[in-house]
Amino acid sequence: MSDAPALSETSASRPSRRRRAAPRLALLAGTGTALLALALLGPEVFDRFTINVLTRSMIYAMLAITVDLLWGFAGVLTFGQAAFFGVGAYATAMILTHVGSSPALLALALVAAVLIPAAMGWLVGWMSFYHGSTAFYATVISLLVPIVVTQLIYAGGATTGSSSGLVGYWGMDLSLDGYFRLAGVCLAAMTVAALVFVKSDAGRVLTAIRDNELRCAYLGLSPQRIKIRLTAALGAAAGFAGWLYANASGVVAPEISSFVFGTELVVWTALGGRATVLGPVLGALGIDWLSASLSGEMPFLWQLVIGALFVAMIIVLPNGLAALVTRGFGRRGGDPAMGAAPPLVEAPPAAEPGAAPLSDLSAPLLAVRDLSKSYGAHKVLQGIDLEIRPGELVSLVGPNGAGKTTLMRCLTDGDARSGGEAEIAGRSIDGLTPDRIVALGVGRKFQVASVFESLTVAECLRMARVSIDRPSPWASAETLALPAAAIEILRLTGLDRMLGAPVSLLSHGQKQSLELAMVVCLEPRLILLDEPTAGLTKTERATIGAVLRKLTAELGCAAILVEHDLDFVRDISSRIVVLHQGRLVLDGTVEAVVNSDTVREIYSGGGHA
Amino acid sequence: MTKTRIFPALAASALSMGLALASGAAFAQSGDPIRIGVPVGLSGANSVVAPSVVQAAELAVEQINAKGGVLGRPLELVVADDASGAAGAQKAFDSLIFKEEVDVLISMETSAARNAGLPAVQRGRVPYIYTSFYEGRSCSPYLFVNAWVPEQQVPPVVDYLMAEGATKYYLIGSDYAFGRGMLEFAAKYIAETGGEVVGDDYLPMDGTDWTAIISNLKSSGAEALITSTAGGAPNVTLTKQLRGAGVSLPYANLAVDEGTAAAMGADAEGILISASYVTGIESEANAAFLDAMKAKFGEELRTPNDLSVPQYEAVFAYAAAVEKAGDTDTRAVLAALPEVTVTGPRGDITMSRQNHAPLTMYLGQVQADGSVKVVSSFENVDPGEQCPNL
Amino acid sequence: MTLALDMITTAAILFIVASGLLAIFGVLKIINFAHGAWLTVGGYCAVVCAQAGITPWLSLPLAFVVGAALGGLTERFIVRPLYDRPLDAILATWGLGIVVGQLITLGFGRDVQFTESLLPGAVSFAGVDYSLYRLFTLAAALVIGGGFALLLDGTRLGLSARAVIMNEHLARALGLDTAKVRAATFMLGAGLAGLAGALLSPLTSVDPTMGVGWLVGAFMLVMAAGSSFAGLAVACLLFGSAQVIVSTFVSPILGGITVAVLSALVLRIRPKGFSNV
Repeated sequence: MSDAPALSETSASRPSRRRRAAPRLALLAGTGTALLALALLGPEVFDRFTINVLTRSMIYAMLAITVDLLWGFAGVLTFGQAAFFGVGAYATAMILTHVGSSPALLALALVAAVLIPAAMGWLVGWMSFYHGSTAFYATVISLLVPIVVTQLIYAGGATTGSSSGLVGYWGMDLSLDGYFRLAGVCLAAMTVAALVFVKSDAGRVLTAIRDNELRCAYLGLSPQRIKIRLTAALGAAAGFAGWLYANASGVVAPEISSFVFGTELVVWTALGGRATVLGPVLGALGIDWLSASLSGEMPFLWQLVIGALFVAMIIVLPNGLAALVTRGFGRRGGDPAMGAAPPLVEAPPAAEPGAAPLSDLSAPLLAVRDLSKSYGAHKVLQGIDLEIRPGELVSLVGPNGAGKTTLMRCLTDGDARSGGEAEIAGRSIDGLTPDRIVALGVGRKFQVASVFESLTVAECLRMARVSIDRPSPWASAETLALPAAAIEILRLTGLDRMLGAPVSLLSHGQKQSLELAMVVCLEPRLILLDEPTAGLTKTERATIGAVLRKLTAELGCAAILVEHDLDFVRDISSRIVVLHQGRLVLDGTVEAVVNSDTVREIYSGGGHA
Repeated sequence: MTKTRIFPALAASALSMGLALASGAAFAQSGDPIRIGVPVGLSGANSVVAPSVVQAAELAVEQINAKGGVLGRPLELVVADDASGAAGAQKAFDSLIFKEEVDVLISMETSAARNAGLPAVQRGRVPYIYTSFYEGRSCSPYLFVNAWVPEQQVPPVVDYLMAEGATKYYLIGSDYAFGRGMLEFAAKYIAETGGEVVGDDYLPMDGTDWTAIISNLKSSGAEALITSTAGGAPNVTLTKQLRGAGVSLPYANLAVDEGTAAAMGADAEGILISASYVTGIESEANAAFLDAMKAKFGEELRTPNDLSVPQYEAVFAYAAAVEKAGDTDTRAVLAALPEVTVTGPRGDITMSRQNHAPLTMYLGQVQADGSVKVVSSFENVDPGEQCPNL
Repeated sequence: MTLALDMITTAAILFIVASGLLAIFGVLKIINFAHGAWLTVGGYCAVVCAQAGITPWLSLPLAFVVGAALGGLTERFIVRPLYDRPLDAILATWGLGIVVGQLITLGFGRDVQFTESLLPGAVSFAGVDYSLYRLFTLAAALVIGGGFALLLDGTRLGLSARAVIMNEHLARALGLDTAKVRAATFMLGAGLAGLAGALLSPLTSVDPTMGVGWLVGAFMLVMAAGSSFAGLAVACLLFGSAQVIVSTFVSPILGGITVAVLSALVLRIRPKGFSNV
């Protein structure tokens, strides 16, 4: 980091935090009150038509929130929320039609309308999210789900009412106004809950997954598991909305579970403004109400206008109308670099359940035997044998294309290698996903700084602790508790004074340091670092060297360092391993390797390092 | 029992048309207009037929107003798009009943749209005349139907095919309430009359790939084919693919209308259709109706059909019921509706049978030039027990 | 025998529908959700030909050209700004599909349109009467597949495309104009979609939503195929046959979702699908 003046003092960031916390609270309270007021006073003000339309729009708005949480926040584009809504509504209508209607059965219907979509959501999540699945794939599956559900409804004959739907059952005994108020209160509750959740530490995990799924996995989180849970939970929420809808409208029809409705939800969310919660709510209310009032006049034109607006919006204003509004606020809000920042405190060392006792220094932390990796006929790595013990700092050197980064990947992803054995702390990593390997005590820093671009420095660091300190789903922790080593990195690099700054404003070097600090936050026993000093200034390099030495020599970690800067390697390594054309050609002390002829040959023949 | 004759009214209106348009509100019409809500699929699947339905309703309103309206009050149409589906229908019904505050709803809609609208009809307590053929058994004190149900459409077809000597039947349909309802009744009726169903297959409602079904049909040994698919694409693709595969069995299509059959050209030749209205009905009322439609809409005319004609007649039925009740009060109109008879293009129609109507059914066969020739007609076919609990 | 013919021709039709989508997915790494719209446009090209009284054979090149031209415009104005936002590209092409559908509705109405069959009637083939046109689709699929093989192996564009498929960064570093390759591929893919629409028109009806029904099955096939045309052929044969078998012996209703559901299950168990075939 350059010696440019620090952005703000630690003490100066305190008032700024209060300044931001206050409007947030006001926003929450304001939103809640406004929606509640709409719900309770609406029947006094509106005519019957508006009441009817708004009751439905408010239920749809609840669905738009679930779409926003999945797509806006977690980055999972879904057309499938209509399916869960439909299943919830049909479960309700089928119980009320075929079994009967009583308070007990209404309650049963509610349970079914929540549990069945939740189970379905889990199944859909399992289908959509696995190690190696792509975002497209999940989206296409989300398109498939409503199609299958609608097909089942059509095929259901009298049970589901087929194309005619079900009508004439007795729902809750509420008046029109009663349903309006109920829908309004539910929407207000869900909006506030969603707003609280997305600002909480647990909610930030969703944004982290959207930003950088790989980094999440290498912070010991399982993006797949989190997304599956999220899909199930939001399936349940959509099912609840379905229960409400089946009661309020008195009719269910196949189209409420169709992908066309699913896309409409996405359109509302996109136009309103993704990742804002309020945008989608207003988008759903506004567009659905407008279409009820206008589409009679010009049915085809209306859809054409909405479609064209949607395309233009995606290209020009991807964050929707809400972005225009918040952008205005943001400018008035002052320096964006001075965001909220909790004070740093030192965390007690994490317990490491099931890990081999650290005192056993003789047992290798990493043991690799005959490891190989090939792409088709092309062999990238072969016959790699390597053992690393606690306290060692091993540098991995070799020309470009020698297979260094590939080796790192084979050590942190149980499915990556093509042959051979790899054990960490005595455990085979066969079939383990990165998050499970991280749980064994491994931390990996990537060659290109891998951090979360939409979070602040403090939030990034908090993400690194999520696998250790369970994040709260409703609050943001008062303090930022990190291991001493991580705090030291922050101090040495000046990042401790920039905790509230958005990561997107950091320099390249600062991002590298931040990522290192995040890896150290995991309290790993084995750290893999891929060119941690690339592009850093001499001072920064020295800082990182000092940190690494401390971690290995004093705290008993082991580290593998991929590095091109041979001076740096010589300074800090306890051992050097040379990789050439996919083979491990040398493994010895610094002196032995640096003076060996082999290395000289490789480097003179293999081009510049 | 009151009997309203439409065609003298037509003759009168044809004469006084120019006058009526010129003098506008010069009639002895006092009081507010009686508002008729028409929720219809201007967009979505029904948008193909919806314009013809609206035109028929417009003609009926114009003719009634030309005669001085109902109880001295003019009729007024309020059309709303139901997007051919449930969600759109909810909006359309809410808008018509609670915002426009119409006195009655008269329309042709999909079953899903009708069902979705019914709760609003019950809450708003307005009479609702449904003018589309459907799978039957939709019952509400507010709901009247003047179009056919399976019990009326299927027997003419099966009777005809039986007489031609076909005893083994294959049934093909789209998997939705109408398709299933029609074919289930057909299977029952075939069994009752001594025939045999050798196979039945359904495709999803939007399905258009009939390959496997056609192969099954060809190997089944069937002597006749009865189909009931969703309108539009499924219907057209089935016929095309049947012809493409060289199937030349006697073929009754319960879902095709005259216009589609004509547009399909040579592929449709020989198809049997069963309906309560075909343009070729030879009656004074039908001729007058067709002339009036041509005069009113000219180039813009959408060919009248089995969905638009019931719409036309239903407006007259409502007008007659209001005359009889002496008021637009819902309870009184509902009591009068089953008792009034309208003589329209389809003949005499009274919705006297559990809110449904006995109808004259026509069996037609598509000719090589696309026209439909009436093979035989069946008078006063009873809709059966549609709503025994009403 | 009929069953075997049904299976092969169904696979051929699926291949025709999905090939344009695969070309775009392979090179641009985005899924073109407007694929259904181009299919529909192709169908309407056949309608226009029929109305103008031109021989239906001409509708095939016309549909390809119109599809490619519209594809070029789409690539330039909608897809290109969104290359680094692939999920947004999905949404934008989806929205474009809505717009195209509505424009067609405004222009031609919602009605089902009729086209003349290129090859009407049935022929006696291997002892059974079989639809001549379905047999023709088999030939068309072989021509398209063969054309792709030639294009990829024998032309500069093919070579560039393969380079981009394998490693775009490297291709760019080697001085390939990847933007041009992308534009050309997108035009080719959209053109193929239009061609598929025209080819389908004798089998299905032409209406503003005709493309939508094919979308999900085609998406899943492309996912299962990875970036390989051989993979697509295998996926079409396998899942197309499964669809015919399920439709014939179990239920045509289940048959309609067989392709998509089976593809999804296969991908779940074997994430690489048939890409190494």
